[in-house]
Amino acid sequence: MATSRIGVRKLVGRTGIYVALIVSSIVMLVPFYWMVSTSLKVEADVFAYPPEWIPQPATLLHYAEVWTSLPFARFLFNSLFVAAMVTASNVFFSTIAGYAFAKLRFPGRDKLFFVLLLTLMVPFQVNLIPLYKMMDLFRWVDTYWALIVPSATSVFGLYLMRQYILSIPDELLDSARMDGCSEFGIFWRIVAPLALPGVATLAIFSFMGSWTSFLWPMIVTNSMNMRTLPVGIALLQEYHTTNWTQIMAGSTIAALPMIIVFLFMQRQFIEGLTAGAVKQ
Amino acid sequence: MTLTWTDIGRSHEHCRGKRMETSIARRIGVFVRKYYWAYLFILGPVISTTVFLFIPMVSSFAFSLTEWSGLQPPQFVGLANYKKLLFDDPKFVKSFVNTTIFVILGQGSGPIFGLISALALNQKVRFRAGFRTAYFLPVMTSLVVVATVWKMLYNENGLINGLLRTVDLPTTRWLNNPATALVSVIVTSVWQGFGFETVIFLAALQAIPQELYEAAMIDGANAWNRFWHVTLPSLRPVIVMIYIIGIIGTYQVFDQIYVMTDGGPVNASRTIVFHLWDNFHYMKFGYASAVAYVLFAVLALFSYLQMKFLGRED
Repeated sequence: MATSRIGVRKLVGRTGIYVALIVSSIVMLVPFYWMVSTSLKVEADVFAYPPEWIPQPATLLHYAEVWTSLPFARFLFNSLFVAAMVTASNVFFSTIAGYAFAKLRFPGRDKLFFVLLLTLMVPFQVNLIPLYKMMDLFRWVDTYWALIVPSATSVFGLYLMRQYILSIPDELLDSARMDGCSEFGIFWRIVAPLALPGVATLAIFSFMGSWTSFLWPMIVTNSMNMRTLPVGIALLQEYHTTNWTQIMAGSTIAALPMIIVFLFMQRQFIEGLTAGAVKQ
Repeated sequence: MTLTWTDIGRSHEHCRGKRMETSIARRIGVFVRKYYWAYLFILGPVISTTVFLFIPMVSSFAFSLTEWSGLQPPQFVGLANYKKLLFDDPKFVKSFVNTTIFVILGQGSGPIFGLISALALNQKVRFRAGFRTAYFLPVMTSLVVVATVWKMLYNENGLINGLLRTVDLPTTRWLNNPATALVSVIVTSVWQGFGFETVIFLAALQAIPQELYEAAMIDGANAWNRFWHVTLPSLRPVIVMIYIIGIIGTYQVFDQIYVMTDGGPVNASRTIVFHLWDNFHYMKFGYASAVAYVLFAVLALFSYLQMKFLGRED
């Protein structure tokens, strides 16, 4: 008797959990579904009542339009190019400097690292205006330089890689040093390959940071040709009397790369998030 | 362990036997040979952080003490910008209050949703990765895209009002109504962000040693007791961290405000960074820098609290 009552209670509890999970997941997914389905609707149906769940008729026309009627290809290229450059340079600088801070001994190492870490507390907005003035001084406003160079290294990335490289055993590096390997050789042949999982995490976060960044690209670019995707999408709503089907087609294209990266590299994503947060 | 200049000189003398005093040039030579790799390796981040972080940080404070608009050179005005900001700028006060409401409502709900969903996912459910992906999807989507989609959902004739109308509930123009604009943006932000907390809490839950639960079971603790006396205390450092990150991040809210409401209607959703951007936009560089430094002061306070709280854990 008692056991079956516990069994029933357990069953009710589990059903409750599943119902809650499914309902909340629907709440999470509906806006994405609405984004994609709107991009397939004809403009007249966007705000139809009752809400039109399945586009009737459905059309891919707006995906073609965003390439032709707007400099969308250029936005996409800018975002991809800037994110790729920022990611590559972050990976290189953070890994090599992370190695030095983790494994090499030099005067001032720990003090320097501490001072660098302190900058993590400075919100970006504090630096916004001087940074803009600096770009102006360098004549970099509205160029790729301004979009890439200030984000070419990051203290967060450096911290992440240092923590990762700390776990590589010293003996491995010492034996290479005995064999007459140069410091750069040790970094390139031993540390870099062993740090690859950490690099993957860092790469994902650098890419995501650059891909979704908005305030800085908006301030430091002013011609349509230099806008990145988020800036382009935000401005489209101001310039055009909101053409929702096109904007949703553009938004879908902008959202897709990160979703694909996530689906394929879920483990690195989660590890990167939790590495900084949950103490091992 | 770090070496000093004299250490280097001494060790050098030692291996060469007793010699005349090492010349400074030689010491520098040894120093360079010994450490140049290390300094070369850290050069990039150190220069970049100095140029793009330290210098702007100091300049920003210097700017904030000036009146500087557009083409004229900056004029030193002391603390006048701060005085105006705190005592004579109702828009700033409004933005400060709005941002604080944003922090209280957003941080009052987001982390709780994150914890509840993580607890549910931790119950050995099927399709855990699938559910986790659903929660996490908006976190990795650009805020501009999220805000744009929600702006459409909140439209007078959008999906939300459409659904309310089908069940005969009252509708409103969510983002154009001063009473609902800020809260509507907060709802979007919580929806966008709590998946981050889900992932962090789930990882933290899985790191709690199973023995603790077994010991509690033996002592006859029920599910609620186990949650209260095992789960929650184990999560304490993560909870503190989540709140600090969340509070600091939320005080910087901008993207969704810019896209969804443009700070309106009548400043009903103006936030601190929006106020900063607005002043920057009108080329009030000195004044905007003062806004930035007030924000900095607020965030420094929370960073200090973080160090105090987390420091106690170790």
